[in-house]
Amino acid sequence: MLQIDNLKASIGDTEILRGVSLDIGAGEVHAIMGPNGSGKSTLAQVIAGHDDYRVTSGSVTFNGQNLLELEPEERAREGIFLGFQYPVEIPGVNNAYLLKAAVNAKRKHQGLAEIDAFEFLKLAKEKMALLGMDPKFLNRGVNEGFSGGEKKRNEILQMAMLEPRLAILDETDSGLDIDALRAVAEGVNALRSPDRAIVLVTHYQRLLDYVQPDHVHVLSAGRIVRSGDKSLALELEERGYDWVREAAIG
Amino acid sequence: MNSAALSFDALQEAVEKLPDGRLAASRRAALEHLRQHGLPTTRDEDWKYTDLSSLVDIGNQSIECDSDRSRSPELERQIESIKRSIEADWLVIANGLIDDRSVRAFDNANVSVSRLSDSDAELEYRAPLSDLNTALLHDGLHIHINANAGLKRPIGILFIDDATIAAGMSQARVEIAMADNSDASIIECHSSLGSARHYANSVVKLVLGSGARSNYVRIQERSQHHDQTGRLSVDVGRDSEFNHCAFDLGGGLIRNDLSIDIAKPGGRTAFDGLYLIGDRQHVDNHTRADHRVGPAESQQEYRGILTGHSRGVWNGKAIVHAGADGTDAAQANHNLLLSDKAEIDAKPELEIYADDVKCSHGTTIGQLDEAALFYLRTRGLSRHDAKQILTRAFAQAIVSKSPIDAIHGVLSEKIAARLGELMGGATM
Repeated sequence: MLQIDNLKASIGDTEILRGVSLDIGAGEVHAIMGPNGSGKSTLAQVIAGHDDYRVTSGSVTFNGQNLLELEPEERAREGIFLGFQYPVEIPGVNNAYLLKAAVNAKRKHQGLAEIDAFEFLKLAKEKMALLGMDPKFLNRGVNEGFSGGEKKRNEILQMAMLEPRLAILDETDSGLDIDALRAVAEGVNALRSPDRAIVLVTHYQRLLDYVQPDHVHVLSAGRIVRSGDKSLALELEERGYDWVREAAIG
Repeated sequence: MNSAALSFDALQEAVEKLPDGRLAASRRAALEHLRQHGLPTTRDEDWKYTDLSSLVDIGNQSIECDSDRSRSPELERQIESIKRSIEADWLVIANGLIDDRSVRAFDNANVSVSRLSDSDAELEYRAPLSDLNTALLHDGLHIHINANAGLKRPIGILFIDDATIAAGMSQARVEIAMADNSDASIIECHSSLGSARHYANSVVKLVLGSGARSNYVRIQERSQHHDQTGRLSVDVGRDSEFNHCAFDLGGGLIRNDLSIDIAKPGGRTAFDGLYLIGDRQHVDNHTRADHRVGPAESQQEYRGILTGHSRGVWNGKAIVHAGADGTDAAQANHNLLLSDKAEIDAKPELEIYADDVKCSHGTTIGQLDEAALFYLRTRGLSRHDAKQILTRAFAQAIVSKSPIDAIHGVLSEKIAARLGELMGGATM
């Protein structure tokens, strides 16, 4: 589904990704782990199309398409979803309005009619119940005054409504208490399916207790230095990131 | 420009031609004041950014040809359409003339409406442009709201001008007295039609009795060929409340002066505003709050969205006079500049002569938040739609503060439509 080949990206004059290669197939859950500053978030942002980052070499292919040629909104309509580490507060834009606009932008791209208002509300309330969100959040400004946990649930709600083909969740577990973490994990698990891929970008293996990854990769200084199955996450938890760093150098 | 540009001979003649009666003495005194002081010029600090010369030209032209004040069918249609769109008991001033039908049809036991020419009150004419207004005033309205009355429907005052046939100038004046403990919503609406030039000059005075509350919304949506200067002066009574929100959605050259006088303790005032300015438009909002006693509050937030080759001016002044302890004054002004040819001159001013006060001010000028734009785009919205949504949200913050809930929907629609024009292309 997603092939990343020797991807290098910089912000300003600083090279952050120094040759990342990754192959993600439909139905798979990948975890990308690594210490702070290793380039995890940059990788997520580059896949989503953030133009602060300059891709200097390499390629990213999504279902045969050159992803790097597409605008962020085109990538989204093709089925890529980025769950933000720091979801943006947008006062004055109603949560329901954004959800509906996002769903309709995708439907339009697929040649479908706009979603019916009742159908939309029913669907949204269903998904919110699953995530333990009060329906009153629909009428609030997007993330406006939300707690950290509420913002992350809201990201998962958007993902659930958009049913992406590839979901990249950037540190969705950070700052969550155990109840929120469980709710988020349930939301993610509910979306697991043979035709969808999920990438969990995370610092800790905590989330991986709830969402079992098929593959775990360790990113360090802009390169994937180790890949393995879920036992790699446990090993990291035990031995810390210094161990991979040393292993990478040595 | 200076006052010499005004044609005083023609003015004198125009003043003499107006119907004689109780207003005649005020008119003559005001003309004399105008002759001595002239109109404000850009050399006056308060008028530094707004040059009235083009208005003087329209004025001279219209005085000389004594423009036609008869009402066209288009004007009637526009009046009806505005009245239908906003639920209120409407009073209409068209081309500077009081619409008698609207006065006769006005039916509220707690409100009395009369002509200024029927009252003995001397008209104030010392503020800038109030002299011009008084000198050429045909007639004005006096609205009295009874003590303890709580009005269920807003009072709407429509100032409308028709420049279909010829260029014109109009003067409109309204005095509103709200007796003790009365509670009323007031909607001031300014509109115009026609492609000839027009200059409208309005003066509104609101006097709040003790414990009175006024929720006040001003909507200015004049044609872009048309200019306006407007003054709203408010006397804030003891423990009274004034909540005001102004929306400048149209017009060519627009200058609004809001002046709030707090001479009795316990007043709470909030005045907010929104201006949407596009190509060749100039919108200037000056506010002034005089805190003469405390405790009292004045809180203001104005927001502006500027596109194309446009200019906005915001000047918020709060003067806390000696002894006005317990004053709480806050000023905020936020601007979105969506074009590199747009200009905003923003100036908060605090003058504090008392000791125990709480005052703050803040001004921001910026572009749309790139992080929010990217966030919306990752949800599938085009850059254009994302911009429109964020811009509308920026404006919506003022709509939400607007004190008459029943018109939030109408305001949002008007703003969305105007932003659509300003930013190009239909929104989603």
